Amino acid sequence: MRLLIQGMGVVGGFGCGTDALASALSSGHCAPRNASVKTSQGPLDIAVFFADASRLEEFVNKRSLRRVDHFSKMAILGSYLALQDAGKLEEDRSRMGMIIATGYGAARTTYTLLDSFVLDGETFASPTSFSNSVHNAAVAGVSTLLDITGPGLTVSQFEMSVASALITARCWLEEGSVDSVLFGAVDEYCDVLGYCWHRFFGERATSAHDMDPFNLDLQSAVPGEGASFFVLSRDDGGGSQYGCIENAHLGMVEQYTEGPDGDNTIFFIGADGHRECGAHYKRFLSGHSRTACYTPLYGSLPTGPAFDIAIAALSIKSGKVFPSPVKNKGPGNGADNEGRLPDSGSICCVKISNRGELGTVTLKA
Amino acid sequence: MSPGAVAITGVGCVCAPGNNLPECMESLFRGERNFGAPTRFVSDNAAAFPVFEVADDLASLETRNTPVISRTGMLSLKAAFEAIGDSGLDRESLRSKRVGVCMGTTVGCVMNNETFYRAYLKGQDPDMADITRFLQSNPAAVVAREFDLTGPCQTIVNACSSSTDAIRTGTLWIKSGICDIVLAGGADEMSHVACTGFASLMITDSSPCKPFDRDRKGLNLGEGAAMVVLESEGVRRMRRKGARAFVLGSGASCDAYHLTAPHPDGRGLRRALGEAIASSGVETKEIAFVNAHGTGTQDNDRVESGVLRDMLPGVPFLSTKGYTGHTLGAAGAIEAVFTVACLERGRIPKSAGFSNPDPQLGVSPAEREMEIRGAVAVSESLAFGGHNGVLVLVMGGGPT
Repeated sequence: MRLLIQGMGVVGGFGCGTDALASALSSGHCAPRNASVKTSQGPLDIAVFFADASRLEEFVNKRSLRRVDHFSKMAILGSYLALQDAGKLEEDRSRMGMIIATGYGAARTTYTLLDSFVLDGETFASPTSFSNSVHNAAVAGVSTLLDITGPGLTVSQFEMSVASALITARCWLEEGSVDSVLFGAVDEYCDVLGYCWHRFFGERATSAHDMDPFNLDLQSAVPGEGASFFVLSRDDGGGSQYGCIENAHLGMVEQYTEGPDGDNTIFFIGADGHRECGAHYKRFLSGHSRTACYTPLYGSLPTGPAFDIAIAALSIKSGKVFPSPVKNKGPGNGADNEGRLPDSGSICCVKISNRGELGTVTLKA
Repeated sequence: MSPGAVAITGVGCVCAPGNNLPECMESLFRGERNFGAPTRFVSDNAAAFPVFEVADDLASLETRNTPVISRTGMLSLKAAFEAIGDSGLDRESLRSKRVGVCMGTTVGCVMNNETFYRAYLKGQDPDMADITRFLQSNPAAVVAREFDLTGPCQTIVNACSSSTDAIRTGTLWIKSGICDIVLAGGADEMSHVACTGFASLMITDSSPCKPFDRDRKGLNLGEGAAMVVLESEGVRRMRRKGARAFVLGSGASCDAYHLTAPHPDGRGLRRALGEAIASSGVETKEIAFVNAHGTGTQDNDRVESGVLRDMLPGVPFLSTKGYTGHTLGAAGAIEAVFTVACLERGRIPKSAGFSNPDPQLGVSPAEREMEIRGAVAVSESLAFGGHNGVLVLVMGGGPT
């Protein structure tokens, strides 16, 4: 069953909203900011694509957000933007379900909770931080603010979170327990993540640099954060400017078999500058002639594939393939030369983990 | 049988009452409560919060997962080995089928290693092995890697309803034709952070918990895992394998009310329970008993008993958290397999910890072990975030 994309809302390093994303796609550039990371050798700067959720105040009274953390704010903002885009802000949502995919959940709040009792003792543990650190706090926050009373789900499968969660979104719509699903993906940067980045990737993590995701032997990842939300429904034949999600699939890269459109598909590659995934992407790229990659516009985060889905939807809407911010000089470099959607209208978003797990999400016009 | 029923052909469980499901059931029906001070972490206030730990350190569990994985991952595997063995499947037969893994957890997906973080705060260079272990220990991925499974893999983090939702999701994957078999369940280890967090909310009991009792003061945490093997009818018939039970129906909902408290009227639970019963095709008079969420907190037990009183009047119910503690993301799966085992025995144990009826609730759980009438039962979960999940289960039968 195809899932119609009725609306979407995004916030990330490129800015807030689909216009900001389209603008970044057109310019082909997005600059990360510096964050300071505490290390045993003293503070170090690390480049990060930060997301600014301040536009949330357009939708929700500031006072009612005083106990809401950054992770949930991004989720709530993405939700409002998606519902607004779908023209569903005023609709009854008792037959709507909600799913959020996340790699690490509310990471900042997790460490705020630890701070509260590691530094001061167990009796000073913060109940507010504990409540907000639970992975499903964002679904709870969104569903409460928007009165979404269908089923709620939070999925955490690292880089495969988005494809995995979409499989269940499709099942809900197929089962008929809901008429629509508010589907989102959220991840946030935190100081500890930056520290881990420094320890795992050394100099490449802390020096200012551009991501070079098609250079698969180079560690060039820059951490990112943000949220991408979509209003999904059964395809009743009415169509949508963003097209539909034809399929979501999980497997291993070595078992990948071509979809029905074969060569008539363009692949949005989720390579995000992690050298340890390079060999798997090389294997995948060698079999495909048309690929594009947009990770330098939003950074490296487990739920990055949801940004690629948003970019695919914008491509379908505009009828063109945006140029990759970084040129692919290797296999699969056909997309940059053409700039048009394949005749099939088929775009496949591909994410591969360092263990060779493969998640694909295919959109069609 | 409802055309939407999904067979359970294998079950596995490890929690404080025992290292496998038969041990657990023997312990429950003996009325044992294996609680004590936490032994897996040091707490300022350990004596005040009894917990239900799994005695086994799981060191002897042979796994192909390397490097070392978390205790939650090991608990997942322990339950998976038992369930797969019970189903008559093995690694080879699983590899030839489309097999998905759907696990629920809470602690298992949170990157909050205290040892690492304390060293980080001191400006030291902590061992990154703690982070690597976390990255290797996603419960669904651990199970999938162990058995070389390449189907859909999903870890659900819906707080305390996680593994009820995981079993429901597994049935949807079977019904949609995505999978032939789904290994579905949940796992959570004892966690200092979780214990401290629940204590900060002042919803823990310093004595063994007393679900639905007049004098209940809160919950005790536990740890464990449970797994069911869900199987399509096509594959089951081909294997000529009997079912231990069927998932007849399920429901899920959001309260859309509060981050930690249930809706006072049980709005979401009513909906989830109603949908589960409707989708199962059974009448309420056919329901033999309810394995309730029954945490022992004031709010949960008041709301849940109100819904049961209104929607399933006269149907016996119990909470098994008096035997297991609240195992968080594992609770729904543990309670679902207990429900299956009770249907098979035709009996339910007494609701441990209950002795004084609460006049404000208007209903009471099973005060003593009792015989049940009927082959259908309900297992339900309520969670932080206002999530509600309900399964309707029926006793299984022969190969066809």
